[in-house]
Amino acid sequence: MPETITKKDRKKVESFNKIGEDVFLGEVKIQTKKCTGCGFCVNACAASALEVKNKKAQMIDVLPMCMGCGDCVAICPENAIELVKFIEFNLFFKYIDRGHPEWPRRF
Amino acid sequence: MGKILKKKQASVGIDPPRKEAPFNPIEDVIFRRRSVRYYKKKQVPEYLIRRILEAGRFAPSAGNAQPWKFIVVQDRQMIDEMTTDVINQCKKFKKLLDYTQPGKEGRERFARFMQKKMPNKLHPIPFGAISLIADGKLGAWHGAPTVIVLLADMRAPGNPPLDIGIAGQNIVLAAHSFGLGTCWMSFITTLEREKKWIECFGIKYPYKLITSIAVGYPKGIPDGYVNRETQAIDWFSEDGTFKVVY
Repeated sequence: MPETITKKDRKKVESFNKIGEDVFLGEVKIQTKKCTGCGFCVNACAASALEVKNKKAQMIDVLPMCMGCGDCVAICPENAIELVKFIEFNLFFKYIDRGHPEWPRRF
Repeated sequence: MGKILKKKQASVGIDPPRKEAPFNPIEDVIFRRRSVRYYKKKQVPEYLIRRILEAGRFAPSAGNAQPWKFIVVQDRQMIDEMTTDVINQCKKFKKLLDYTQPGKEGRERFARFMQKKMPNKLHPIPFGAISLIADGKLGAWHGAPTVIVLLADMRAPGNPPLDIGIAGQNIVLAAHSFGLGTCWMSFITTLEREKKWIECFGIKYPYKLITSIAVGYPKGIPDGYVNRETQAIDWFSEDGTFKVVY
């Protein structure tokens, strides 16, 4: 059985700002060799977590609120971006247990 | 017209695919659909909007009540006004609730109380989005030339907002199959508080403002496959066994 958080536990949550304890943010990996600095990913990002520095896209240094939605992955014309981590709220709610990221599969 | 309706058209889904067959066009649209946040200024022609709304009209609904009302806004000035009003509303909420900035910890108690009252609407993600919109870091409709506003008729059986979701997804998938971009945007519900928009959209019983969809031509090619997390599926098999698949 997957672990679940009860409504009572859910009310005990102190803060969602404890990054790394209660909240694990998403993360993307950008291959700097392929990146041309076009800035499409910056415009596509819903969380304003990306920026272009020195003609290369990167995640911002301070609190990148990445949700792991993958919009930057899909829009990148050079296929330079890859999702490595998804956002996770440990105490607010628990996702049912998950496997690793997968591309659309054909069964 | 009659001819088309009488003849059983060979459509995509009639023959189930063989094992590991390539994706058919409908699956392809579903897998490649991404929310678009970067639009061209070019207006979408009326016939295309009519055509994607037709897909919404044929969505399934509880008791075939079809409890939806679509409003199409293509007036740039009106969309700009809506955007400023959404930003103003978010600024108000931010002033009341945002305790994450230094020196504003006093708001925390009230914010927590509200989070307990509205756990879904003030979940960390929309909570953060309120601040982003108020600061102008996150656009409302991202400069899309067309906005489709979706209202639910609350007299309908079952769960009318769910039916709106189904109709909306039909609209979105149809739009993406024409190469248009879309983005769901439910912060429009903050406009419920403004008299101007209540009158403009007719938001009074039985109609309830549910959500909106931005439609436009995307800049670049945002649609594409991405990797996503696989979630556990509980499976009660035919022979009485239980398994979890990913």
